[in-house]
Amino acid sequence: MTRTAAPPTRPPEPDGPRPVSRFEFNLVRVLRFFLGHFPSDQGIQLVRAAMTRPECLSDTAVGLVKDSLAKGCVLALVRAGGWRSDRYLRAGKPVGGRAWERSPPADLALAFSARVVEFLIWATAEKVHDPKAPWDAPYEELTPADELFFWLAFDACRADPDLVAVLRTRDAFRLNPLCWLGYPGDMAADDESAPPDFRPCFAGPRAVILECLQAHLARRWTQSERAKGQIGDWERMRRQGRAEFATLRAFLAAAGAANRTDLARFVLKTNVAMFGTDLAPAFWTGGLQGSGPPRLADRLDTQRAALAVPRQLEVLAGWQQRAVHVGYFDEDYSASQMWKQEWEAAGGDAVAARARAAVESLEPLRAPVGGAPPAATDIPGDDA
Amino acid sequence: MSRAYRITVKESDTRHLKAGDEIATQLEILEILPPEDMATLLREELKTRGFGEQDDGTLTREDGQVTVTVNPCSGEVSVKAHAAATVNQEAKREASGFNDIGPSESSLRDRVREQLKHDLDKKFDQEQSRLQTRATEELEKHLQKIQPEISAIVNKVTRDALKEKAKQLGTVTEISEDAETGSLTIKLEV
Repeated sequence: MTRTAAPPTRPPEPDGPRPVSRFEFNLVRVLRFFLGHFPSDQGIQLVRAAMTRPECLSDTAVGLVKDSLAKGCVLALVRAGGWRSDRYLRAGKPVGGRAWERSPPADLALAFSARVVEFLIWATAEKVHDPKAPWDAPYEELTPADELFFWLAFDACRADPDLVAVLRTRDAFRLNPLCWLGYPGDMAADDESAPPDFRPCFAGPRAVILECLQAHLARRWTQSERAKGQIGDWERMRRQGRAEFATLRAFLAAAGAANRTDLARFVLKTNVAMFGTDLAPAFWTGGLQGSGPPRLADRLDTQRAALAVPRQLEVLAGWQQRAVHVGYFDEDYSASQMWKQEWEAAGGDAVAARARAAVESLEPLRAPVGGAPPAATDIPGDDA
Repeated sequence: MSRAYRITVKESDTRHLKAGDEIATQLEILEILPPEDMATLLREELKTRGFGEQDDGTLTREDGQVTVTVNPCSGEVSVKAHAAATVNQEAKREASGFNDIGPSESSLRDRVREQLKHDLDKKFDQEQSRLQTRATEELEKHLQKIQPEISAIVNKVTRDALKEKAKQLGTVTEISEDAETGSLTIKLEV
């Protein structure tokens, strides 16, 4: 790897472990749990336990927090997919390489605000599932790095539904696009929950973070789709499906508007992973128990919601249609070419046809009678 | 001296219950002609099948308890079933008390009346769900019945559109249709 900037000078490391108070010790362990470097069960016990909050943190503890954040968040991004040599758009042109090769170091800097430390103190001092003291961070004050940290924290806490129920009500999580992209089913408290504005995700460090998370998101959505067949509760399926549909629709609309179709790669990859063969809607809805809601309208709504991810392919197919018609002298020619290559490499047409067949098989009043209707291309005189 | 007594309270209520169910979907109309021409063909075909045009441009047909509505411009079709009934329910409860201890007769009567209200609500809820089931069953039955008709409408519109398109392309010399397979062959001179 070529070093492009001299590393900042660090103070010499002490010989042994640095002394911290009991509270600070727990706070560092909570931080390591959020960053995925501490056993999940022990970490959940720590955030479920209360501890008397000190007046302030020592310099040693603050130094440890800074060090863990700097190393842990970068490591999380690299492991999630930043290490992959891939192509993403820079000013409308594809640029290849690993995350740190595609952008200059200055554009990759992660700056954390004091909100992160406030949250860590709160999560250590309070029983997060039943807090006595309020805590929240106004979303406008969060930096891209803060959003990444809160997403990691939410991911770590997902194993405990009580923690999820509390965290998703806080703005730092509720309005965090990464939390919605990763776990829409967990973020939606009810049918009316709406995803946040995704427009800021396509510029600056947020776009770089999304690039690093593409492989992770594709893996997570694929797992989630495969697990849907195990969902037995109609209400849960409907809520999760609606949240997924709203999230992906809003995200794809924002990605299309920002001309960053490369950042929606995970949606295409998820569908490619699903539609290796033809799939019937039972793949998603086969686990639903009982006859479901009494109204046919509600049952159909739930089944449609279950296929939220395949339904997004119509948007991606629309991008492909548009890309085909972009000319060499058009402004977004390079971006369109890149999307076309990705679509063709993924077998997008076949995947879209399979997804469409699965979605349409749910629709009532669609079965053809007396043979399929003739297609417009069958007109004999059309070629003349 | 303590004396026991028994009271019997009867309540009855009449309510008008309504239930409904609805599905909406999109007709798969191919864009053989411009959308407004396809909409015109669809509108004409629907009219021949007894659909009436509404002020908002949609076409509607009532089939018993079921209403089918088609928007020829967007191709959206909705099938709505409704059921309504005026239901009378009665409930009766008995309670016993003592004249010297426990609640007085009037408060006992009030309490029984309150319980009777809950009993009546429960009975009406059961009637409501029965009515809902009836509406849903009616909708499901009607969907099976109407599906071939909707497919036939879509096929007819597609055939008519193809003929129209062929006319625009040249002089039609021969048209042959096979109703069984749904195939349509148009020969034309360009």
